Amino acid sequence: MTISKISEVEFGETLPAFQPDTTMPNVRRFAKAAGWEGGRFTDHDHARKEGLPGALVPGIMSQGFLSAMIHHWAPAAQIKNVDTVFRAPVIVDQVYSISGVVTDIDLDSGRVEIDLTVTNEANETRVFGTAKVLLPI
Amino acid sequence: MILDLHAHSIKSDDGRAKVQNYCQWIKARSIPIDGFVLTEHRQFDNESDYSDLAAEFGVTILKASEVETEYGHVLVFGVTPALQASFDFGSINLALKDVIKACNAHGAVAAPCHPGRKRVGMSAHLEEYGVPQGVRIVEVFNGGSRDNEDEVAQRMATDLGYLGIGGSDAHIVSHIGRCATRFPGSIHNEAELVAALKAEQFEAVTFREGEA
Repeated sequence: MTISKISEVEFGETLPAFQPDTTMPNVRRFAKAAGWEGGRFTDHDHARKEGLPGALVPGIMSQGFLSAMIHHWAPAAQIKNVDTVFRAPVIVDQVYSISGVVTDIDLDSGRVEIDLTVTNEANETRVFGTAKVLLPI
Repeated sequence: MILDLHAHSIKSDDGRAKVQNYCQWIKARSIPIDGFVLTEHRQFDNESDYSDLAAEFGVTILKASEVETEYGHVLVFGVTPALQASFDFGSINLALKDVIKACNAHGAVAAPCHPGRKRVGMSAHLEEYGVPQGVRIVEVFNGGSRDNEDEVAQRMATDLGYLGIGGSDAHIVSHIGRCATRFPGSIHNEAELVAALKAEQFEAVTFREGEA
């Protein structure tokens, strides 16, 4: 179900679950497009030599996933802000899920705040944050 | 009574949750806690008065602090003006022994939080600094724990004879109440919380998926 205007949103509403494509081919495509082709994002062995647990999904790619999730739920949403706290690395080729819930609504302005959490298969939070979006009134 | 003893609001630099939204969330999602304690980073929030919100939502809202020592982060319950004058809450280099000494002098309780976490948890520093004197309570359930951090905390608590509390360490609204502490009686204010902790009759509980 998608949302088209603010009056359709309920406090506590859960956004449709979203599983981002964090496979190496997709991350390499993103890194190339972003001009971030360093080995820490595109090569597990290179990343491990830098002391990382594996190649990293770039932070801006994770933020892009969060934005994509919001637009899957509300295609007309204007995303004003995605504020993220990276608590642990997001590793390429590992499986992650993104969950989102509505935590504040201003019917007059059309503003909605959404909690966003990126978790791994062990249900551990890797990234959390909030988004402020505007929906048609 | 069940209280989440570790939560952050937008008063903390990395907190993203408004207190009113915590209250709304607890009610909307029937989170099984009776209230929460705001433990803002490196400060005590002297300004905010949440009594109206607490009354409106029927939720207990208390205030404490999370300070930083050489053994990692430490929750301080029962903060008073006298306690605030006794050390710099904003410092990131406090000595745990000084925090505990000040708490003991001013009727407060210090409890290392997420002690199983690397760098900011107590267990990571035991080898370097030894077992600190005066610790009685540590957080053994932390809603933000990853990997085996809670297991490390619980093992340390067992080995060293500490009592365990739980808290969500929520920084966003939907994380409130993931872990908490169950007390046998009612708690209405910070002084009663300190008394309940000193009575040593409580247990850490978790409501995380698959663990409740």
